[in-house]
Amino acid sequence: MTISKRVLIMIPAYNEAKAIDFLVREINRLYPSFDIVVINDGSTDATEQLAESAGANVITLPINLGIGGAIQTGFRYAAEEDYDCTVQVDGDAQHDPASLLNVVNPIINDQVDLCIGSRFLAEGSGFKSTYMRRIGIRFFARLLGNLTGIPLTDPTAGYRATGKKLIKEFANYYPIDFPEPEAIKIAQRFRARITEVPVKMRKRLGGISSIRYFSTIYYMIKVTFAILLDCLKKSK
Amino acid sequence: MQAKYFAIFVAVSIFLFVVELIRKQKMTFRYSVFWLSACVFVLLFSIADHLLIPTAHFFGFTLPSNFVFFLVQVFFLFLSLFLTLYINEQNNRTDTLIQQVGILQFRVKQLEKEKGDGPPTPETN
Repeated sequence: MTISKRVLIMIPAYNEAKAIDFLVREINRLYPSFDIVVINDGSTDATEQLAESAGANVITLPINLGIGGAIQTGFRYAAEEDYDCTVQVDGDAQHDPASLLNVVNPIINDQVDLCIGSRFLAEGSGFKSTYMRRIGIRFFARLLGNLTGIPLTDPTAGYRATGKKLIKEFANYYPIDFPEPEAIKIAQRFRARITEVPVKMRKRLGGISSIRYFSTIYYMIKVTFAILLDCLKKSK
Repeated sequence: MQAKYFAIFVAVSIFLFVVELIRKQKMTFRYSVFWLSACVFVLLFSIADHLLIPTAHFFGFTLPSNFVFFLVQVFFLFLSLFLTLYINEQNNRTDTLIQQVGILQFRVKQLEKEKGDGPPTPETN
């Protein structure tokens, strides 16, 4: 398969020294034609050095911004460098690079503008998450499904690819904390074509889920509020 | 009668203090407008204090003092709202700067690598 479009793999990483080296080398081996940028979100460990020595470009933020700020940095860089497609892969190596083309191909073939990798669509998916997390995922799937008319199974997933049109918009504005569900609503406001594809998830190699730091209740209220408020914004 | 002069004194003092801060460039006009207009408002009501009771009655306050307290509360409410707004604005700007600094640092590093001589060492300077 020949890929003429330029693809940027964005890996947000905060203290992911345990996983980053392995992840970057794995992606480089599987997809040598794709560029990798690790957004080192003010890590205090050796994430930067390890990612660099593994062969990735590393953008180091001087201050920790959180996942939203890190991803937005990636979008900014992608917009400046005029990439056709970005893929977000979590720095803890939970997102299996074997599924990368599943999310990238619909963008490269210009079928959709936002392609979300769903761990629940994969056949025989043995992925288990906590009970609260599952409730949250189902809640947002239904809320976003009702608001956007797009059937979703995994709206909180970070494993997703974005096309050129949305890269520009996300470079300008991206939600700060817990950005994933809100980003779907924003994408829909920009009349993006959105779809879900099956992806494989692995056990995390290191790091701590950003969600564990906050109470799930706060997460639910904040994101619901943000999504509902986005409905009040003018669609483009 | 004494309360009237006290109010005038306080309003004038704050007004002059704010003007002095602007003169020393410690405050910009944008952020002082709120304070200056509050001072002018207090001054007007202190000088024309016969207007206070009818105005209070007009807005449904039996006691003029309650009316004054209410206005003070409204003032601080809006002040804190604006301050929240400014903090947010600053936050967004800082975030953007952090992101741009990160990208710029990366580009500088790349350029240095391309030149092949790496970052300048202190000895050569």
